[in-house]
Amino acid sequence: MMTPMHTHPNDEPFAKRVLARISDEHLTPRPRWEFVFKNYVFWSLGALAVALGAFAFSAMLFEVENVDWRLALVTHASLFAFFLDAAPFLWVGALALFLLLGYANVRRTNHGYRYSLTTIAVGAVLTSLTLGAALYATGLGGLVEETVGAYAPFHRPILTEERSWWLAPEKGLLGGHVVSAALGATSFVLRDFNGASWNVDGSDLRTPDLAAVARGGLVRVIGVPTSATSTVFHACFVIAWEFRGDWGRTPPPLPLAVIASTSERSSAAARSEVCRGIRPYAQLRALDETGL
Amino acid sequence: MPLDMTDEEIVRRTLADKEAFAPLIERYEAKLLRYLDRLGVLVREDREDILQNAFVKAYKNLNSFDPTLAFSSWMYRIVHNEAMSFFRAKRARPQVILSEEGEALLTELRDDESDASAAAELRLSQEELGRAFAKLEPRYRDALILRFFEERSYAEMSDILEVPVGTVSTLLYRAKRALREALPERTRS
Repeated sequence: MMTPMHTHPNDEPFAKRVLARISDEHLTPRPRWEFVFKNYVFWSLGALAVALGAFAFSAMLFEVENVDWRLALVTHASLFAFFLDAAPFLWVGALALFLLLGYANVRRTNHGYRYSLTTIAVGAVLTSLTLGAALYATGLGGLVEETVGAYAPFHRPILTEERSWWLAPEKGLLGGHVVSAALGATSFVLRDFNGASWNVDGSDLRTPDLAAVARGGLVRVIGVPTSATSTVFHACFVIAWEFRGDWGRTPPPLPLAVIASTSERSSAAARSEVCRGIRPYAQLRALDETGL
Repeated sequence: MPLDMTDEEIVRRTLADKEAFAPLIERYEAKLLRYLDRLGVLVREDREDILQNAFVKAYKNLNSFDPTLAFSSWMYRIVHNEAMSFFRAKRARPQVILSEEGEALLTELRDDESDASAAAELRLSQEELGRAFAKLEPRYRDALILRFFEERSYAEMSDILEVPVGTVSTLLYRAKRALREALPERTRS
């Protein structure tokens, strides 16, 4: 906005007019610390944005690492539906936003304009990604995803999301903790995420499944409910549910001798007719052989 | 005050005594008024108002002056920004009238022509060049003015326009191409 001018006659030398205006308006140079402080603020905000980007990336890694893409067609009707549920949109968006904020702040520092968009973007992305990977390795990714993610709109933390996929016994999907197992794992008791106990029939299980049961802790069971109302579930496949990048959640093994007593069960043997109807049986069998 | 004092020395003195600012104003007054003229501020009073504002702003922000860049670049930046605010406030497109100083730009355009006959064709009147200039986007015009009329280096232009040096190169390349396209048909190869 232009301020009113010509307070002094135009025939006066220009420099004199400028100095007269400075005197008339009692102007003084703004203190140096204001500029230094402003510069520090922009650098700090830039660094903070990159650090927040690192947290977003660690949460993104946690989400990607803890989604089992091999079971996409078990839990979802299509890969696309699975992608929509499992892709870390929130963290990709957050990372992009923080990187943009980082760029905008660095650009406003004293010499920020000298750096090209590419230089700042590559620097910020590399820093965020390296820091984010380090944070993920320390287990902070899970913490961010589970705590911050819980408050974000339109987002459900991946573990909560996955638990909901495996709380569908009517669809043959059951997830929860192995509470106890009979010797030989002909059956075991599982507590689902709602706290309900299930008697799981393990007669169709093969060696890799039994290993998962023996290991205890969290498992995912693919099978067939015996009826719509009972809490008896016929298991066809059991998959250990391990968390990656989240310290302290790996369960201690169950004090069972399941494997030894069931070693006669081959992993290659076909399952009963009950299991052959589950979808996608052939794919699960293939995964079973290569190790789920 | 000794005439051989550097800009930076005068800035230091001005922080202690505002009267010391006068030689710096005198040193840049004519140059910056000419720059404003080239930017398209055609009324002398407007040019003086803008320049006065720019010097007052420079004085108030003297402590933010970074001695690692030339004072002239800093001053050009302030004047440039003030001129842009002026055009925005007036909602006016700058009216550029080029004087005979466009020769450096024409030489540059001629040098860019690989075809000798096309280069020879690039002899136009100042009026034609001015008309082509007026058709350019402001950022292209600004870049060409700083480079070929104010004879600023790429590094200085980077400090004045507050863009990376690489962007200055791109701007100039695109500006020259846009100018060539804006020239009358007969002058184009």
